[in-house]
Amino acid sequence: MDDTTPVARSAISPAPPEIVVACWAVSGRRSTGALTLTDASPLAKVAVRADPDGELAQALGVRFGRTSRRTDALDSVGTDVLVVGSGPGEWLALGAPGRQLALTEQLRGLLERRGRVSGAASAELVTVVDLTHGRALMRLTGPAAAELLGRECAVDLTDAACPDGSALRTAVAGLATDVIRDDWDGTSSYLLHCERSSGQYLFDSLLDAGTELGVDVDGFTTPSARDERRTMYDF
Amino acid sequence: MMLIPCPWCGPRDAAEFAYLGEPAPRPDPTAASPEQWRGYLYLRHNVAGPGTERWYHRMGCRRHLLVERDTTTNEVRPHRSHVGDES
Amino acid sequence: MAMRLERQPDEVVDRDVTLTFTWNGRTYPAYAGDTIASALAACGVRIFSRSFKYHRPRGLLTASYLDPGCMVQVGDEPNVRGAHRLVEPGMRVRSQDTWPSLAVDVKAANQLVGRFLPAGFYYKTFMGPRRLWPAYERVLERFAHGGEIPDLSSYQRQDHRYDQRHVHPDVLVAGGGPAGMAAAVAAAAAGATVLLVEEEHALGGHLRWGGDDVRSALRELRGRVETAPGIEVLTDSVVLGRYDDNWVSVVQRGLPTVNERLVKARAKSLVVAPGLVERPYVFAGNDVPGVMLSTAVRRLVDLYAVKPGHRAVVLSANPDGDAATEALRRVGVDVAHVEDARRGGDIVRVHGRDRVRAVELGDGRRVDCDLVVTATGWTAPVSLLTMAGAVPAYDARAARFRADPAQLPDNVLATGGVVGDGSLDELVAHGEATGRVAARRAAAVGRRWRAASPTAHKQAGPLVEVADDAPPALPVDPHPELFRARTHGIVDFSEDVSSADLVTAVAEGYESAELAKRYTTATMGPVQGKLETVNVIAIIAEATRRTIEETGTTTWRPPYAPVTLGALAGPEREPVRRSPLQSWHDAHAATPLVAGAWIRPDHYGDPAGEVRAVREGVGLIDVTPIGKLDLHGPDVPRLLNLVYLNRWSKLAVGRVRYGVMCAEDGVVLDDGVTARLGESSYLMTTTSSGAATVWEWLERWLQTEHPDWRVHITPVTTAYASINVAGPRSRELVRRVVADVDLDPDAFPYMHVRTGTVAGVADCVLWRIGFTGELSYELHVPAGHGLHVWEALLAAGGDLGARAFGVEAQRILRLEKGHLIVGQDTDGLSRAGSAGLEGLVKLDKEDFAGRPELAWQDQQRDYPRLVGLRTTDPTVVPVEGSQVVADDGGIGGRVTSSRMSPTLDRSVVLAQLDASLAHAGSEVTIAMVDGTRVTAVVTAGLAQVDPEGERLHG
Repeated sequence: MDDTTPVARSAISPAPPEIVVACWAVSGRRSTGALTLTDASPLAKVAVRADPDGELAQALGVRFGRTSRRTDALDSVGTDVLVVGSGPGEWLALGAPGRQLALTEQLRGLLERRGRVSGAASAELVTVVDLTHGRALMRLTGPAAAELLGRECAVDLTDAACPDGSALRTAVAGLATDVIRDDWDGTSSYLLHCERSSGQYLFDSLLDAGTELGVDVDGFTTPSARDERRTMYDF
Repeated sequence: MMLIPCPWCGPRDAAEFAYLGEPAPRPDPTAASPEQWRGYLYLRHNVAGPGTERWYHRMGCRRHLLVERDTTTNEVRPHRSHVGDES
Repeated sequence: MAMRLERQPDEVVDRDVTLTFTWNGRTYPAYAGDTIASALAACGVRIFSRSFKYHRPRGLLTASYLDPGCMVQVGDEPNVRGAHRLVEPGMRVRSQDTWPSLAVDVKAANQLVGRFLPAGFYYKTFMGPRRLWPAYERVLERFAHGGEIPDLSSYQRQDHRYDQRHVHPDVLVAGGGPAGMAAAVAAAAAGATVLLVEEEHALGGHLRWGGDDVRSALRELRGRVETAPGIEVLTDSVVLGRYDDNWVSVVQRGLPTVNERLVKARAKSLVVAPGLVERPYVFAGNDVPGVMLSTAVRRLVDLYAVKPGHRAVVLSANPDGDAATEALRRVGVDVAHVEDARRGGDIVRVHGRDRVRAVELGDGRRVDCDLVVTATGWTAPVSLLTMAGAVPAYDARAARFRADPAQLPDNVLATGGVVGDGSLDELVAHGEATGRVAARRAAAVGRRWRAASPTAHKQAGPLVEVADDAPPALPVDPHPELFRARTHGIVDFSEDVSSADLVTAVAEGYESAELAKRYTTATMGPVQGKLETVNVIAIIAEATRRTIEETGTTTWRPPYAPVTLGALAGPEREPVRRSPLQSWHDAHAATPLVAGAWIRPDHYGDPAGEVRAVREGVGLIDVTPIGKLDLHGPDVPRLLNLVYLNRWSKLAVGRVRYGVMCAEDGVVLDDGVTARLGESSYLMTTTSSGAATVWEWLERWLQTEHPDWRVHITPVTTAYASINVAGPRSRELVRRVVADVDLDPDAFPYMHVRTGTVAGVADCVLWRIGFTGELSYELHVPAGHGLHVWEALLAAGGDLGARAFGVEAQRILRLEKGHLIVGQDTDGLSRAGSAGLEGLVKLDKEDFAGRPELAWQDQQRDYPRLVGLRTTDPTVVPVEGSQVVADDGGIGGRVTSSRMSPTLDRSVVLAQLDASLAHAGSEVTIAMVDGTRVTAVVTAGLAQVDPEGERLHG
C-alpha cells in the first residue's frame, strides 16, 4: 500500500473527528462509555466457500457456528485472523486493515500448501472472494450489548445459547446480518457484518435502539492510541 | 410465531424463512405434456394434516430445507432427510 | 380530599409527595401512587364518564384496569384507563365524549329515545336509502364514543416513541399474585431464568388488600422474588397472547423513555396465573354511580385510603363480600344492610340517576344508601389457556367456567385462581409445584434447542427427557350461581348492552352466543368480555331455556389487553440501501427516488438536459444497485444454460453476453449481462430490483435440482460502486483516468470486459455495455473508492461537458433506444415472446427454466407483443398504463412506457398489444385518462433513436 493509494471510505459516515487509519477514513472519536458501537469496516473481510466437511474445512479448523482466532496456517499475514464459521461450507476471515490481498492469497493457497506437504492435489472447489469493500462491519461492546441486540434481533443471545466464539446469521433490524460473539477481555462484544449498502442503516438503527441503554459511538483506534485496552487495529 | 427447525442453524422464527410450499417433482421438460407441466407448476395436495414443505432460510444459512408440518396444529418436525446431517 | 381516609396499613400512596393535576380544567390534588380515579374519588368525584349509547353517568365499578366507567383523555392520549394510570404532576385529564360537559350531557337524551337504540340498532337503522349514507355518517360521528386522537404531526415528534424487545426466558409467569410469585421463585430455584409479568403496579394480587392475615406472607413472597437469582419482574405489563411454540407477546407500560413497549418472549414454559376477575351483578340501575364490586371497595380502602361512600348496602355471596363489609365498617362507613345471597338474599333495583339514593331488596324493602356493593361471583380469565388449546367447561358447582389443565400442551401450565381455590398455603404450594415442573420442562426444551444449534457448547451425554409429576389439584369451592336479579340491567358496561337487549336478540332468532354477541355487540367493547361474558352466556341460556353448558362460550382471541398500534409496529425499521455515491447526490440536489430498498438520484433538476449531455457529450450515472453475483466453479456454464434462455457454453474469457431469465411458467423474471472474467470465474449482473430474487433463484436450482454441480455464488452487488460513463465522448473521458487498459475499439470492443486501474484504484472491472444506446463503459470500482473515482471522472471530464445523469434521464434514453425494463414493459403474464425476446429463446437447448411453456407459446403465435408506438400528435404523452382500444371497443393492450424524447422532440412509447394489433404500420387508439382518445401508429422496431446501433458499437 503506497502513498498514491486513494483513501477508502466506509459505508458509515465517520463521527467527527475524521482521521485516516491504514488508508481508510475513520472516526477518531473516543468514548469511555460502557456500551460502544464502532465502525470496524476497514478490517479485511474475505469470504470462503468450500465443502462443509472437506479438506479446506479441516485446514481452517472451524465449524459452522463457531469462530477461531489463529495465525498458524495464515502466518504470512502477520496479524491475528478471526476465522468465522459463518454458514454451512462458508467462512469469513477477518484480518487487520489493508491485509485483504495477503489474506486472500493465503486462503487460496491453503490447500495447495497442504497438498505439497501430503503430496496429494486437492480436487475440492474452493472460492475465496475479497469482500472488504462489499460489506459493512461494526463492533458492539459492553455488558449491555446483548440487551441492545435483543431490541432488534429475535435470536437467543444469552450465554447458554450463544457463548463467546459463537457465529450465527439472522435478521437484525430486519436485515440479514452475521452476529459474531467475540468478547474483549471478558466484556461482551459482538461483531455485526452486513451488506455494505445497509451499513449506515444498521449502525443508525442500533444507535436509535440503544438510546435508553446509553450506547455511544467509539472511533476506530490505532494500536498506539490506547495501550491500556485492546484496539480495533490489533484485532 | 412458529419455530422452523433449520437442520443447520437450529430452531428459528418462521419469519426468517421464505415458504416455498409442497415440493413438486420437475417433469422432464422435453417430454412433459402441458397437463403434466402445469400440474408441476400449479397443483398441490394442500392437505389438512401432516405434509412435507420446502422452506428457504433467507435470513440465516440460505439453505433450502424440508420440514414436516401439520397444517391443522402447526406442529413442525425436521424432515426425515435431515435427521442425520445432510441438507 | 374529603373522602381520603386516615393512613391505611397497606396503602400504596405516598403522603409525603403531593401532586396536582387537572380534571376537566379544574385543579385537583393527589398523592404519589394515586391513580387518576383514586385521586378524584378522594376528592369526592363520583362521575367519570358517560356511557356509550345512552350517555348515562358512570362511576367506579372495579377500580382496576378493567373499570369500564373511567376511560379518560390524558393530554393528547385517548382512552386511558383512569382507574389504573397513575397521576403525574401537571397531568391534564378530561372526560371523553361528553358535550357540553360531563355534568350536563345533551346526548343523555339518548336515554329518552332508548327504544330507538335497540339490539341490532346498527343493522336495523341505517339500511337505506344509500344516498343518505353521508348524512348517517355525520350523525354517527357526532355520537361515536372514545377520546380524541391528536393530529399526526405529534406522532412524528419524539414524544411518541414505541419500541420492542425480544426475550428468551426459560419460564414466563403470567400473573404476579401468590401462586404466580411462588411459581416464579420455585422455577428460579430450579435454575430457570424467569420473566414474571404483572398487570398491576405491584406484585401481590389479591394479597395486596388481604389485610392483617396475609401481610407477612405477601412481604415474604415479594422478598423471595426480589432475592431469587434470574427473575425479571415486569409490572404494569400484560401478556397479550400465546402463539405457536410459546411465542408470548407482552405489552409493557409506564416506562420512562417510551410510551409502550412490546416484549416478544420465546418462553420455553409458560405458567398462566391470572387469578380471578370479580363479576358484576345484573339488576335495574346496576350502572348508577355508587354501585361497585367488593374488590373495588377493598382496592379503594386498602390501597388508596379512599372512603367509597357514606352509607352502604352489601349483597354478598362469598367471603370476599364479607371482607368488604368488614373493611367498610373498619373505616367508618355506615353499613346499613347486608343482604346474604347464600341465604336467598337479593337486590333488584337501585334508585337514583347521577348517584345511588336507595336500593330495593329482593323482598321489596327499600334501604336509603349512597353505596351498593356486590360480591356475586368470579370469572376465571381463561384466555391464555384457550389460546393454548384448552376448551373451558362450565362448572355449575363453582359458578364459573374452568379450563382443564390436562388439555394443555406440555409447555403451558396453570396455577392459582384460574385453576381452583384453596387456602393461601395451598395456592403457594400449587404455584411452587407448578414452577418446578415448568422449570424442568423448560430445561429439557433448552437442551433440545441447544443441541440443534451450532453456536452453543455441545451438551455432554444424551438428551434425557425426565418424566415430571403434574402439580397437585387445587380444591374448588362451591359458589351460588348468581347472574341476574329478576329485573333487567346493564350486562356490558362498555357497550351499554342490557340483559333486555340480549333477550330481544334471542327473540329475533340470534340464539347462538356467537351470533347474539355480534348482534348486540355485547363483550365487544374495551373490556372485551372479561367482566361480562359469563353473564351474557347465562342470560342467553335463560332466554333460550338451555343450560349454560349447552349454551357454551364465545372464543377468546388475542390480544388479552389493549395495545397501541405504535407498540405493535415498533420503531421504524425498514432497511435502506445507499450507494457509496449517495452523499455526492445529496450534496448536488438530486431528487431522491426510492426504488425497492435503494435510494437513487432520480435527476439533478433537468432530466432533459441530462439526456442531451449523454447524446451529445458524456454523462455519468450511478448504477451501483445493479445486482452483481460472483459465480465460480467448473459448472457455471451449465447453470447459465439452465437459467438463461440463450446459449452460454462457448462464452470466451473477456466476453460479455446479454441474457434473459424466465420462471418455470415462461414469464420473464430478469435480464442482465454476464461476463467471463477467468477460466471458471464469471460475474453476473441482474436488474437493480432483481438481485436478491435471482440469487435465490440460482441457489434454488443448485440446492434442490443439481446439488452435484460445482458452483459457488457470492453476492457482490455492493462490493463495487458501479458507474456508467455514456456518450460519444465517453472513451475520451475514460482514457484520461485509465492507464493499464487498451481502450482502442479493436482492442476493447462492444460486449467485452477488462480489469484495470481507474483513477489510481486497482481491481476495477470495465465493461463495454450500456443501456442508453450510446458508446459507454460501465466501471465497477471497489466500493470504498467509488466516490473518489466518480469525482475524478467529473473533474477529468470538465472540458468534455461531463455531467451526472439520474434514473429519469436513463429511462428516457433507454426508451428512445427501445430497451425493455423487466417489470415495467413486462408483467406477471408476459412470457418471453410478449417482451420481444423470441430471438433469444433457444428451443434447441434440451433444458432451461420455462422451456415447455415457451415452446408452446412459440407454436401459438397469437400472444401479445411488445411494440413501439408513434402518436399522431407528437406532443401527446399517454400516461403509462393507458389502455389501447381494440377494434371491437374492448381492451387491446396497454402503454407500458412513455416519455417525451428530448432527442427526437416527440413522444416515445412502448406498448404491449394483442397480436392482431401488433403489426408495423397499423393504427391504434389509446384511451387517455381524461377520457379523450388519441391515435398512434405501430413502429417498425422498438428503437426510435439509432435503430442500427452505430453509436453503441462505435
